[in-house]
Amino acid sequence: MDIISQLQEQVNTIATVAFNTFGTLQRDAPPVRLSPNYPEPPPPPIPTDDSSNFSDLPKLLSVDLVKAAKKFDALVAALPLSEGGEEAQLKKIAELQTENDAVGQELQRQLEAAEKELKLVQELFNEAADNCFNLKKPD
Amino acid sequence: MATATYPPPPPYYRLYKDYLENPKSAPEPPPPVEGAYVCYGANYTTDDVLPSLEEQGVRQLYPKGPNVDFKKELRSLNRELQLHILELADVLVERPSQYARRVEDISLIFKNLHHLLNSLRPHQARATLIHILELQIQRRKQAVEDIKRRREEAQKLLKESLGTLDGH
Repeated sequence: MDIISQLQEQVNTIATVAFNTFGTLQRDAPPVRLSPNYPEPPPPPIPTDDSSNFSDLPKLLSVDLVKAAKKFDALVAALPLSEGGEEAQLKKIAELQTENDAVGQELQRQLEAAEKELKLVQELFNEAADNCFNLKKPD
Repeated sequence: MATATYPPPPPYYRLYKDYLENPKSAPEPPPPVEGAYVCYGANYTTDDVLPSLEEQGVRQLYPKGPNVDFKKELRSLNRELQLHILELADVLVERPSQYARRVEDISLIFKNLHHLLNSLRPHQARATLIHILELQIQRRKQAVEDIKRRREEAQKLLKESLGTLDGH
């Protein structure tokens, strides 16, 4: 995929990771004690324990986020942005076009000369073959 | 429950009755549309240019100007984004009811990021064009060299064969 598309994908990935972070943390957070007067909240019924403890989640999610951001920075550094801007590029394109036309004309000339020589050789070959044929003594 | 039949085709086919004998007796196809046009109630334009952020009602965070340093702006926007995400986390812990402003800021940064990346596309198109032209020039030069070489080889062979025939 070209680098700009990769950058765009990476931006979307950062967004996804960020909002998944907040969503997961909010959804899976254990209840909070409101005031010392109220009793401890009962532990929530956990039929199957989560494979990772909740306390590991913030660290894991933030590691993902920072990794995504670092990847974005690396991609930005890899951008092959040539200096000079639009005018320099347009000038280069015009130069390349004239050079392309010149080389194309040279190619055309060589092609025509080669075709002429090919026709000449073919005619000579036909003539030689005819002469050879005519010189053969009939049996 | 009656269902309607399909509408009949438009009656313009009668105009093309003598098309085989005289192609000019039938109306010309309509010219291509220019400018803005309406299609199924939506407005479209034939001039494909990236609309600037102000036209979409979005504040532009990176400095305007003829030549924007894309790499620097992209990196600084990325850093701002990270800061805003941290800020959002803080706000959610301390004052959860004020999340909306922070979320708006984050989406503003994302819109700016995408707009910057989209404005890189014309540059990419021109760079691709330059690359294609260079490849084509290289291929053509190679072809010229090949043809020259073959012609010389053919000339040499002909001279040799002439020599052999004369010496015969």
